[in-house]
Amino acid sequence: MRRRVLMVLIIGLGALLQQLIPPWPIFGGMKPPILAALALHYALRRDNRDMWLAVCAAAIMYDGLEMGTFGPALLAFPIIGVLANRIRTEVFSDGLVSQLVFGAAIGLFCCFVTLLIYTVSGQRPFHMGLALTRLSGSALLGTATLPIVSRAIIGLEAMIPERRAYGWQ
Amino acid sequence: MLRNKKLLYAAAIGLVLIAVFVPLPSLTLRAKGAARGVMAPAERGASGLWQRLSEATAAIRGIGGAVEKNRELSHELVRAQSELNRLREVESENLRLRRALKFSQASPHEMIPCDVVSRDISGWWNTVRIGKGLRAGVRANRAVISPDGLVGRTTEVTPLTSEVLLLSDPACRVSARVSRANVFGLVRGAGNTLKGHPKARMEFINKDVEIKVGDEVVTSGLSSAGGEFPPGVHIGYVENVYQDDSGLFQYAEIIPRATVGLLDYVFVVSDAKEAE
Repeated sequence: MRRRVLMVLIIGLGALLQQLIPPWPIFGGMKPPILAALALHYALRRDNRDMWLAVCAAAIMYDGLEMGTFGPALLAFPIIGVLANRIRTEVFSDGLVSQLVFGAAIGLFCCFVTLLIYTVSGQRPFHMGLALTRLSGSALLGTATLPIVSRAIIGLEAMIPERRAYGWQ
Repeated sequence: MLRNKKLLYAAAIGLVLIAVFVPLPSLTLRAKGAARGVMAPAERGASGLWQRLSEATAAIRGIGGAVEKNRELSHELVRAQSELNRLREVESENLRLRRALKFSQASPHEMIPCDVVSRDISGWWNTVRIGKGLRAGVRANRAVISPDGLVGRTTEVTPLTSEVLLLSDPACRVSARVSRANVFGLVRGAGNTLKGHPKARMEFINKDVEIKVGDEVVTSGLSSAGGEFPPGVHIGYVENVYQDDSGLFQYAEIIPRATVGLLDYVFVVSDAKEAE
């Protein structure tokens, strides 16, 4: 229970941090995908129930704080979560190379889904050059974000003492 | 069991697609209001902490004491600038009696001072969030100004916070006027430069009127997106003038002067009666 509460608090903190970080014009104005990285981190390390909790909390937070319709994160995060949770026993999720690849993949995927939704619904104008800049920028930012986020959470959770499983002493 | 799971996934995907593509503004805004309401105290705390840190840094650098004074003067400057804009409009009409009458009237607009508490979460929109909403009298589609001029307009207003669509966002459109030539047009956002400076474009300008580089662009006061924008608020200066592809109009690139950061405070122009 304590870890679940901590997980939701970390997601809230991640949302706050993602908002405070200024957009990077060189990457098409994109921001580091901290919430997507958090959703992936928990999907790779926790059971199915925790994965859904993390994914839903992150998606609602992201779409709730974003302009426009509810959608991009609500669609992208569960897909990331389900896929990652399914392969979590087959990949070495703590390896730097895996994290770099997964980071790029989530950055690219989230950006692609958002681009698709905003273009189809006509909420954002479509420019090929800007779209390509954003896709590549998101991939790069995801690559840099996931290892940092992952290590920060592992370090934070290591500070919490484990509860003994054999009753009160 | 497997069939049930597939049905569950299909239902979930269907619900998400409905949420994404079926416009339900009131429901969406309510859900967003809940999420933003939860985050509002943390955002305010973080922005306050950041502000204190930067003020402390400024004080250490030797300009302590001037910070508070500077803020008060900036507030005063916005009010004075707003009043000046109003007076310019009156002067240009050259009607002494009407001006005298307007002097006797109270200003029709009220300024609601607001702190900027956070930026857009994704980078897809050019928005900032201000720490006041419906409860403070902020309404949607109202002009947001800073000491430098027009910042943008309010869009999604929840009880505690409001989103401000910045002038540089392509979805932000404002009816504008070139002061010198007294010609009207529509200013819309054009994103940011690689250095992060906002860009805007004034469209549908009469092709027969000469527009010069450096001309001042101000709000026209005509209704924009169903909201009320006061006339004469500075938007920016013309940087380049081009002929439209159709040959019917000309358009001008504008550099908006008002850029807003996380620690800034802005003013929402509100109807006095509504704010009460």
